[in-house]
Amino acid sequence: MASIEIANARKSYGAVDVLHGINLNISDGEFIVLVGPSGCGKSTLLRMIAGLEDITSGDISIAGDVINDLQPKDRDIAMVFQSYALYPHMSVAENMSYALKLRKTAKDKIADAIGNVADILGLSALLERRPKALSGGQRQRVAMGRAIVRKPQAFLFDEPLSNLDARLREQMRTEIRKLHHRLGATSVYVTHDQIEAMTMADRIVAMHDGIIQQVGSPVEIYDRPANIFVASFIGSPAMNFLEGAYETTADNGDQGAGIRLSDGSLVPVLPAQGASTNQPVTLGARPEHITIVQDAANGLPARVDLIEPMGLSTLVHATLAGKPIKIFTMDRPDYAVDSFIHVAFDMEKVHVFDSSSELRLPPLTEPHTGHSD
Amino acid sequence: MTLATHAGKRPVERRGVFSKKLSGIIEPYLYVSPALVLILAVMLMPLVLGLSYAFRDIRILNPFSGGFVGTAHFETLMSDQAFLGALINTAWWTFGSLFFQFGLGLILALLLNRDFVGRRLIQALVFLPWAVPTFLSGLNWAWMFNPVVGPLPHWLTSLGLMAEPFNILSDPDLAMWGPIIANIWFGIPFFAITMLAALQSIPKELYEAASIDGATTRQQFISITLPFLAPTIAITLMLRTIWIANFADLIVVMTKGGPADSTQIVASYIFTQAFRRLDFGYASAIAAVLLVLLLAYALAVIGLRRAMTHADN
Repeated sequence: MASIEIANARKSYGAVDVLHGINLNISDGEFIVLVGPSGCGKSTLLRMIAGLEDITSGDISIAGDVINDLQPKDRDIAMVFQSYALYPHMSVAENMSYALKLRKTAKDKIADAIGNVADILGLSALLERRPKALSGGQRQRVAMGRAIVRKPQAFLFDEPLSNLDARLREQMRTEIRKLHHRLGATSVYVTHDQIEAMTMADRIVAMHDGIIQQVGSPVEIYDRPANIFVASFIGSPAMNFLEGAYETTADNGDQGAGIRLSDGSLVPVLPAQGASTNQPVTLGARPEHITIVQDAANGLPARVDLIEPMGLSTLVHATLAGKPIKIFTMDRPDYAVDSFIHVAFDMEKVHVFDSSSELRLPPLTEPHTGHSD
Repeated sequence: MTLATHAGKRPVERRGVFSKKLSGIIEPYLYVSPALVLILAVMLMPLVLGLSYAFRDIRILNPFSGGFVGTAHFETLMSDQAFLGALINTAWWTFGSLFFQFGLGLILALLLNRDFVGRRLIQALVFLPWAVPTFLSGLNWAWMFNPVVGPLPHWLTSLGLMAEPFNILSDPDLAMWGPIIANIWFGIPFFAITMLAALQSIPKELYEAASIDGATTRQQFISITLPFLAPTIAITLMLRTIWIANFADLIVVMTKGGPADSTQIVASYIFTQAFRRLDFGYASAIAAVLLVLLLAYALAVIGLRRAMTHADN
């Protein structure tokens, strides 16, 4: 196992820049998830670590050695592909032993290694089968087995669960996590699914347009998103955004603040660092940080558009100040469509973003952390 | 009352049901009958007719011929030295052409499967020989081997491969190479097209996975490319063997089977017997033997393929 350092790595295809200077240190044994929408460069970055794409400039090191010019086979990494990329004409056992055979490992050692890994992954009964005779989940496991059996320095996963159905994906998510606990292997996992990112990562790397937007633990990313992109991408249902102007209020000597929405209503917020009066800002509030209040005096009026029961909870779609918002509630509300409700924002939990830079303006009370990376 | 009337009607009803059932059985055959008639007319009839000729004395210029001769043609054939020579020549012609057509076609397909500037244009150009009528190719190649009008003998002399420019088509020891070279040129595109199509169906991730697993380019070729190409290779080799064995155009145009029968293959021998000696009976007997040989070959290959795929599963 080893650490991976990526220093100012860039990738261009001709005149098109795909990655603009990526800096990232992955420590030994860490499970890192690269997350972002399609085309954000996350898969390219993974393939650069694997050696399947050239590095235009910058350095990538594994265990302290720069591996820019090494062939994939000399980097001592293993990769799990989205399509699994199993060799169709080889049995499960042959698929898993291929890399060991190429390294001229002794036959009894190969048999031991395969038996071991097959036990861990529950593949023992399938060793003689061809990939085409396996289900999607089993193929996925064989692809994992092929990676594990080599005991590489690092595991690279390229959206390995996207071809599975929802239930199986949930199950494999847990299994990969457990496997990581067991093996303690440095892992880089690429996904566009923010739930996979949240549930699996030690640290999430949120990427957009070839730039790292934020690096941090799942909770950190969720609770303190660095900008509007991260705030909107992580979390489902997604965060609500309302544009307005920042206002400071002085109430009984207490320093207060609020955001004046387009319909003139004021949403109280914690005073934000570096925000000035009348500055255009965006209010960010997760659906669970908006509450429906019975008392009209304590809330802002919103028109109900749709009630979406989700079993555990209910999602209320409404319109506030001309903008659609979603409200998460554990109650079972039965409002009629087009009826009016009153909503209040959790002052401690909502975020203030600068509308022009889209960066989050943290509350004065929050200790200044800067970038954790 | 009611019972009686019912009982009286029953036989009529039954007949109706029966004829309905019968028409239900016949109906699908009526739908396919036009196709069946066509197949019988254009495939089965000529085959049966041709086979029947093999047992009859049919010589176009002899008005008294046409009688049944039993297996006389086949008995003659057994001791016909020209036929035995043609059999050996057929094997040489077929496998000599096939080996180079396949080998060079595969190499060409591998080259065309790489990315390079002007790939589409080159791909189109490579497939040109396929578009030239065979008798034109034959004439062209015959001229190219001719030292009076063609450059090849002079080039070979300059390279020191030939003492002095001469026409290899008139040398009994070398003549077969003329049509074989023309046939190689003509047949490479077929293998290049089919192999290229098969190559392009191989998922790129397999090569990536193998390169991460530590396979060199050569090992990737052996453990990924070849297994993927194997079914295509098997079927194209079988088809081409049969086509080439039957393919007399180039030989007839370039050497007419000569000099001294040195390029006579079974197919051209049939042509010679039928259209030069006008002995259709004997030619049909040779054709029947060739048919049996090729059928046996095809069955052997199919059997081999089945055994291989069974071993696969």
